[in-house]
Amino acid sequence: MAELPQPAEARPPGRVVLPPHRERARRPFADRARDWARHNLFPSRGGTLLTLISFALLVLLLCGVIWYVFFGADWSVVSSNRWLLFAGSFPRDEEWRLWVGVAVVFFMIGVAYGLWSRFNRRDLLFVAIASAFLIFLMAHGGAAAWSSIWFLVALALMFGGYVVAVRIPRDNSRLRVRANRIGIALIALALPIVLLILMVGGGAVSTDFDGFVLNVILAPVGIVGGLVVAIPLAIGRASSLRIISWTCTAYIELVRGAPLLGWLFVALFILDDVIGGSLVVRTMVVLAVFTGAYMAEYIRGGLQALHHGQDEAARAVGLSRRQTLQLIIMPQALRVSIPPLVGQAISIWKDTSLVSVILPMRELKGNADSAIAQTEFIADRIEAYVFVAVIFWIVAFTMSRISQRVERAQGVGER
Amino acid sequence: MKRLALLGLVAAVFALAACGGDDGDGDGAAGGDVRGDTVALIEERGALKCGVTDTLPGFGFREPDGSFSGFDIEFCKAIAAAVLGDDAEVEFVAASSSARFELLSAGEVDLLSRVTTITAERDASRAVDFAQTTFYDGQGFVVHADSDIYDAADMGGATICVAAGTTTEQNLDDFFNEQGLSYTPLSGEGSEPQDQFVARRCDVFTSDKSGLAARIASLPNSDDYRFLPLTISKEPLAPGVRDYDSDWKDVVSWVVWGLINAEELGVTSANVDAWAADPPNTAVARLLGVPFEGGETADLGFAVDPQFIQRALRAVGNYGEIYARTVEPLGITRAGTLNALYTEGGILYAPPYR
Repeated sequence: MAELPQPAEARPPGRVVLPPHRERARRPFADRARDWARHNLFPSRGGTLLTLISFALLVLLLCGVIWYVFFGADWSVVSSNRWLLFAGSFPRDEEWRLWVGVAVVFFMIGVAYGLWSRFNRRDLLFVAIASAFLIFLMAHGGAAAWSSIWFLVALALMFGGYVVAVRIPRDNSRLRVRANRIGIALIALALPIVLLILMVGGGAVSTDFDGFVLNVILAPVGIVGGLVVAIPLAIGRASSLRIISWTCTAYIELVRGAPLLGWLFVALFILDDVIGGSLVVRTMVVLAVFTGAYMAEYIRGGLQALHHGQDEAARAVGLSRRQTLQLIIMPQALRVSIPPLVGQAISIWKDTSLVSVILPMRELKGNADSAIAQTEFIADRIEAYVFVAVIFWIVAFTMSRISQRVERAQGVGER
Repeated sequence: MKRLALLGLVAAVFALAACGGDDGDGDGAAGGDVRGDTVALIEERGALKCGVTDTLPGFGFREPDGSFSGFDIEFCKAIAAAVLGDDAEVEFVAASSSARFELLSAGEVDLLSRVTTITAERDASRAVDFAQTTFYDGQGFVVHADSDIYDAADMGGATICVAAGTTTEQNLDDFFNEQGLSYTPLSGEGSEPQDQFVARRCDVFTSDKSGLAARIASLPNSDDYRFLPLTISKEPLAPGVRDYDSDWKDVVSWVVWGLINAEELGVTSANVDAWAADPPNTAVARLLGVPFEGGETADLGFAVDPQFIQRALRAVGNYGEIYARTVEPLGITRAGTLNALYTEGGILYAPPYR
């Protein structure tokens, strides 16, 4: 930040002089804009050149994208294959179950946001753009007015959940504590509740999970299950009992050492004899086992980042070993590990697309492969894959935003 | 207490998921290699599990509503109709090419109907038996519509676009050496051969016919190109069944042969009902499993009842109808190719049904 010229004679007599940054803010907007541009865009001859080149490239890229999206691409491969891409072989008569599931998830997101985050204009913008994109997609090609209505109902529930949750005062009142607990329980139970909605009373069977539905069922199991596996593993690896630490280390190194594709083969051909059950459940087990090994290492990193004084102080005030771990060590270690844990969560979200490669199950990307095998859409492979990428991105970006909120609420990086 | 209740709920949901899967899995508990009576297994389960491809235009892909469609799919439906009497009782399993034979031997599917070439190695060392070939694929050629190449002899001195480092390239070389013709190969990776052909840097574009047709169909002006009636390599695509189950293999083979015989005899999905009630001759009566002029119904001893071919015909029609519905729209015409009936110059020659 270079100092701006502040000629003394320009200052009117008797005027209160403010600190420099406020003083700068007093100057006319045009002046400030000019100075900002001079400092940031045209600082020198080389800088000017770079700015011009970057600007030209940016314009070119933007024009290219806009031209592609609105004129170059033929999105009919996506609009006519909405059902295939999102639900595939899910029973058509049970479509309402999917929408109720969506509504429940949206409501939970709204409640969580209201409870633990503050209103942010950028989040609203993201929700607005993503919703507009999805409604556009559902309205495109007609015959899906109901989908749009369902989606709007789900959005309304999300805002409703937010509005109610945000009114709960942020203090240590009993109401607040109870609300926090309900919020956490809701998130932990989100997947079981959604599965119940989808399956109970003559709904879908596990082989019906297909397309995007399969991705959103597998990924949370991988993430939550992974965390459940990882915490004892991380503690065990740091244990002073050799047998426990060796076992945990062996597990982590064995699982991390082989690619996920290999473990999916295990789910297909070996777990069948070991635990049986349907392929979806076996895949869930493999995803949780696989993610758990990575997450255990991140949590161990969090444990090691803590000063040993924390442990000693807790023991000194008379907390038991278990209480120390539960109340002092784990909360801090988990908080430190949030960024890599979320990275792993996003990674496993994208890795759900691997199931189509090996297993006789098809998720979003696998169904896109199939959509472009339809005779009339053979030429539209780029459109189909761009769409799949956008959908993966929307979910991954949402996860990333949520994690940033949680980090801020937990004060990660502040100490 | 509350935690216990939560745990219970989670456990219940996963148990539900597991049970839901078992409904579809049937023999989930059997595990390992499955041997034995597949027909009985299918009847007990009430559904045929058919391993198919879901990414090959014309042969196996999924419709916008999630259902499966294509040439290989039609044979799954025909066999389901033959065994169970209902062509809707098929559970399609999208089998990747890397796991297809293992899926078959592990009992995850009863039948592979997914553009699988019969090779000696597969037949001998994999746990797969091949039933009657449904489609004779092979390396083909495509030219620009205004080209003056109509036959192999016309290709002397031509420039030919071909995928680099493939058996296609070797087949091409062998073929031209055999014919004593010269040519200039223009090889490239991925879609390069196709792009170079479209840009007229070569006169001829060669690849496996089914894939070639799909690529040409993907071009904006697919009418500007013409296939040569020429096939230079052998790719017989056949349904696969588990080893050591001849009864099941017989049913599968004879559904295929039955549909070919039906075409030869003129039985179609349109006239099968009328002809089953009043067969025009003994051959049709035998094929449909009905008595002819007061005679007796011949039971040839299949593991399914004698009317199984009749049911398959009612579900999907004869071989020609299947071909016209699924492969023809890709631009692979049938007349004059290997997949025509032997009476029309092809090699579809089904043994007599008697």
